[in-house]
Amino acid sequence: MASSSSGLTFKLHPLVIVNISDHHTRVKSQSQPPPNLPAPRVFGCVIGVQRARTVEIFNSFELLYDSSTRSLDRSFLEKKQELYKKVFPNFYILGWYSTGADAEESDMHMHKALMDINENPVYVLLNPLINHTQKDLPVTIYESEMHVIDGIPQLIFARSSYTIETVEAERISVDHVAHLKPSDGGSAATQLAAHLTGIHSAIKMLNSRIRVLHHYLNAMQKGEIPYENSLLRQVSSLLRRLPAIESEKFQDEFLMEYNDTLLISYLAMFTDCSSTMNDLVDKINIAYDRHSRKGGRTAFI
Amino acid sequence: MNLNVNSVDSLVTEIQGLSGSSQDVAHLNNLLKQSEDTIRSQAATFASCLTLLDPSVHSLGYLYILEACTAGPVPEAQANELILPVVRFIDVCNVEQIRLASDKFISVCKRLHELVMILNAPMRAVGPLLTAILKIQPSPEHLTPLHPDFLQVCLLAKCYKIGYSILEDDICEVDQPRDFFLYCYYGGMICTGQKRYAKALELFHNVVTAPMSTMNAIAVEAYKKYILVSLIHLRQFSANFPKYTSSVAQRNLKNFSQPYVELAISYSTGNISELKAYVQANQERFENGNNLGLVKQVVSSMYKRNIQKLTQTYLTLSLQDIANTANINTPKEAEMHVLEMIEDGEIYATINQKDGMVRFLEDPEQYKTCEMIEHIDSSIQRIMKLSKKLTTTDESLSCDPLYLSKVGRERQRFDFDDFDNVPQKFNL
Repeated sequence: MASSSSGLTFKLHPLVIVNISDHHTRVKSQSQPPPNLPAPRVFGCVIGVQRARTVEIFNSFELLYDSSTRSLDRSFLEKKQELYKKVFPNFYILGWYSTGADAEESDMHMHKALMDINENPVYVLLNPLINHTQKDLPVTIYESEMHVIDGIPQLIFARSSYTIETVEAERISVDHVAHLKPSDGGSAATQLAAHLTGIHSAIKMLNSRIRVLHHYLNAMQKGEIPYENSLLRQVSSLLRRLPAIESEKFQDEFLMEYNDTLLISYLAMFTDCSSTMNDLVDKINIAYDRHSRKGGRTAFI
Repeated sequence: MNLNVNSVDSLVTEIQGLSGSSQDVAHLNNLLKQSEDTIRSQAATFASCLTLLDPSVHSLGYLYILEACTAGPVPEAQANELILPVVRFIDVCNVEQIRLASDKFISVCKRLHELVMILNAPMRAVGPLLTAILKIQPSPEHLTPLHPDFLQVCLLAKCYKIGYSILEDDICEVDQPRDFFLYCYYGGMICTGQKRYAKALELFHNVVTAPMSTMNAIAVEAYKKYILVSLIHLRQFSANFPKYTSSVAQRNLKNFSQPYVELAISYSTGNISELKAYVQANQERFENGNNLGLVKQVVSSMYKRNIQKLTQTYLTLSLQDIANTANINTPKEAEMHVLEMIEDGEIYATINQKDGMVRFLEDPEQYKTCEMIEHIDSSIQRIMKLSKKLTTTDESLSCDPLYLSKVGRERQRFDFDDFDNVPQKFNL
């Protein structure tokens, strides 16, 4: 697959990605395929806006596609298109999506089928296999290009780069979805633990980044690295944005609250210790108490 | 292979030869153990080979010979000579080699202790015994038989500070109960000498509530001092024993310390003159218990108790009224007492000298300072360590077969199958 040379910039919204993955997961869990076979592929349409050279993909919906006969349910597609037009009058069908590891030859059929709706559709491919080593999103966007191969002009898929674009509302909802864990109702303890773990990792990351900056600035000061004024300007503007409360009252309040939190954790440790001690004493009493308990349990039916 | 103990030189060469690596030393240890009796019987002849051996390198061999030399009764004249090599040995000996024959080391140190007692020079043993304890302790939480000896020597030599340094470590492992009793008793006395009454109270409390099957004199003496220190420090004394005190102690301790209990009762009335009269009447008995000094301190703490009671009732009070209510003779004396207490941090007050009024204040601690953060932080660390210790003890007890058998026996049986031999199912 070549990389695209059409010069179009693609912007993908996270809603599309969530939709595709949701569709795939639903189909996979409902159809219950045997474990060795790959999950069935899902298909759908992506819709959005195209302005000049920028293609922005906002939303997506599912399509009925019969993979045995390779036929697309046209009436369904049209009905859906009408519905979406009513809600989002600006959005056009920009292309289609599917799941899988790589684009296949059979996908060209689908691509050509959509060409009568949009003369240059895009193909969004999501790889549902989770690869922990891979840091990027497993989403690729393909365009179709006419190339002359062996004397025959053919349409082939060409990969294009894209950026992720979010609106504030999308960011909040995606964040929420990302934090959903399949826990047992999430008791207070696990929620607190999850919350604190999140904060802890955030602070750890912040700490390591500040350390890197600090080290860098130190080296610059010692003269090991040449001065880079733009970076220094950025750092100084960052520092100026820090909270500038230095008053006596702030210190007092801050220290008082800090001490309160420490006292609470001290109290928690105390309680923990007392409960361990209690268990220990019970065990010792059972094990080493020479006087049998008066009226103790006599275990008979 | 037996050691060749026939002549001094052969023994020396063997010891020197086998003091190289740790395996050699272990081997040497076994050999020495086998020839222990022969060494002991010929102790006099071997005394000369002490000079040939270097205690820092050949510690184990030196130790065996030294122990043999000091085992028999020593006349007073020779005691002095014998102390020097022992002291030197303790200073320079090698820790790993010593630990292989720890009981011998302990007996050597105990002999040192006896020798200095005979010579009536306890100061000489303070340093060596401290080094000895530090060397032989497997960890700072172990109690060795040397601890009470060391504390006793410190008490007699009046070196309270050094003794206190040993007391700062918390003890978690105890070998012999007698050591524990003595350690806590002497430790309590050292703390009282240093005026750290809180720790003294804790140590005496440990002695009184320690498990004991029969009455012992240490506990009785400790109980007497416990009453006195609690009166000085806490300004009150509760005669109820905590639940975990052994029944033996609960029944008998009060009988043995009758005058002290009565002292506590008269203290609680708050009447100074009555207290003084009682002390006067029983002075001899207090003296016999070597507690007269403490009793006098109890009397002087009575003033403080009365003043402290006043802080709970009044916001401001004149010095004259304080003198009257607290049975103090003059307002000047009352002012002096109040000033002392403010300096010690026992009460919070301001004295207005113009009109002779004292104003009692609240605790000004705002918990806003960085020192408070460090204080709480260190407390949290301590309690985390304690918690870890408790969980390990708890887990080890859960695996104890005695405990498991008892738990298994009394589990609920719902089924005929449950009546088989115990333990099979564990409801842990």
